[in-house]
Amino acid sequence: MNEADTDAEVIDRLLLQRMATGDRAALATLYRSYHGRLCRFLSRLTRRSDVIEEVVNDCFWIAWQKAGEFRGDSRVSTWIMGIAYRCGLKALRQHGDEPVEYEMSTDERLVSSDPDEDRELRDWLGKGLEHLSADQRVVIELVYGVGHSLDDVAAIMQCPLGTVKARLFYARVKLRNVLPALAGNPVACKEGTS
Amino acid sequence: MRTTVNPGVDCPHAWELMPWVLQDSAAREQAAWLENHLAGCASCRAEFAQQSRLRLALSLPSERPLDAEVGLQRLLARLDASDPQQAPRQPRSRVWLVRALAAAVVAQAVGLGVLGVKLDAVENPAYRTLSETPSPMPPGAIRVVPDTGMTLADWNALLHTLRLQVVHGPNSVGAYTVVPTDTAATTGQILPKLRAARGIRLAEPISATP
Repeated sequence: MNEADTDAEVIDRLLLQRMATGDRAALATLYRSYHGRLCRFLSRLTRRSDVIEEVVNDCFWIAWQKAGEFRGDSRVSTWIMGIAYRCGLKALRQHGDEPVEYEMSTDERLVSSDPDEDRELRDWLGKGLEHLSADQRVVIELVYGVGHSLDDVAAIMQCPLGTVKARLFYARVKLRNVLPALAGNPVACKEGTS
Repeated sequence: MRTTVNPGVDCPHAWELMPWVLQDSAAREQAAWLENHLAGCASCRAEFAQQSRLRLALSLPSERPLDAEVGLQRLLARLDASDPQQAPRQPRSRVWLVRALAAAVVAQAVGLGVLGVKLDAVENPAYRTLSETPSPMPPGAIRVVPDTGMTLADWNALLHTLRLQVVHGPNSVGAYTVVPTDTAATTGQILPKLRAARGIRLAEPISATP
């Protein structure tokens, strides 16, 4: 954890302490701080905006209720991401389907207003992630997108460290085999290393 | 000074290190080792470049960002709707404390009851000598046998209503001896009320016992 992470952790813990006393301003601050990364994280599980918003609010509802129970065994970000992950899985079960297929609709591609470079990167990423399972996408997002350690990811997903390592490994192998072709390069021949 | 690079041999280690070097969470020595390896291994260099691009793509904000303020207002409205106290739920430990105190009160009541029965047994031994005079019963004493299903609350309420006081019991058959606290009340007035009360199996004046 670098210095910036340490500072963020200290602030997050203070906010949680204030939330435990019923301080809504602290809740609002933490909500705004985590909203972007939670939305992006949950978008690896589902592309439905309504479900993502519902899960973010379910997550903070629980964080508000349980702020006083946070004992600091993990980083606040790990704790919150773990709640969001479980809420996300629960929401998907309630909506009666598997994690929504990770593929961009034609409309989404047409209405994109990103700069060309970002759009190209998104398309490349989106097509690559289509080849992964939901759990593999979550691990990739947590490691590369959010910057969590393997231990953090295991805590968030509540699974053994070995499972996380395996998911990350196979996700990387799959991506290595498909991403170069998606970028217009020849497919890598190497089948992964151990 | 660069160390010898062994493409193919060191590649698995380089593969393992890549995410953490990209995250900037790898040790300085590990990052330096990877840098050295990449300089001499085209395959890992290509892989690292792709991983860097992957990380960049994953760090882009959501395509269709949700409005945090709208979500926050909905959350606050939800809190208002379900939490009139406007405060988070008390930690579970406090709830358990209340439950533990309630359990302690119940246990205390049960303990007092058991203790009472034992003391009663000590004060009234199971035998007495023929020369021993029985303890005199106060005037107006009534023997009452409540039904086994009668609750303690009902029993207490009945005693309170009829202004009776338990002076003895329960004995081995569950009979109590009660006397009126109101000296003006007569046994004849109390008995019909006792017999008519719900949950009373038997009510007899002790003086009338043959």
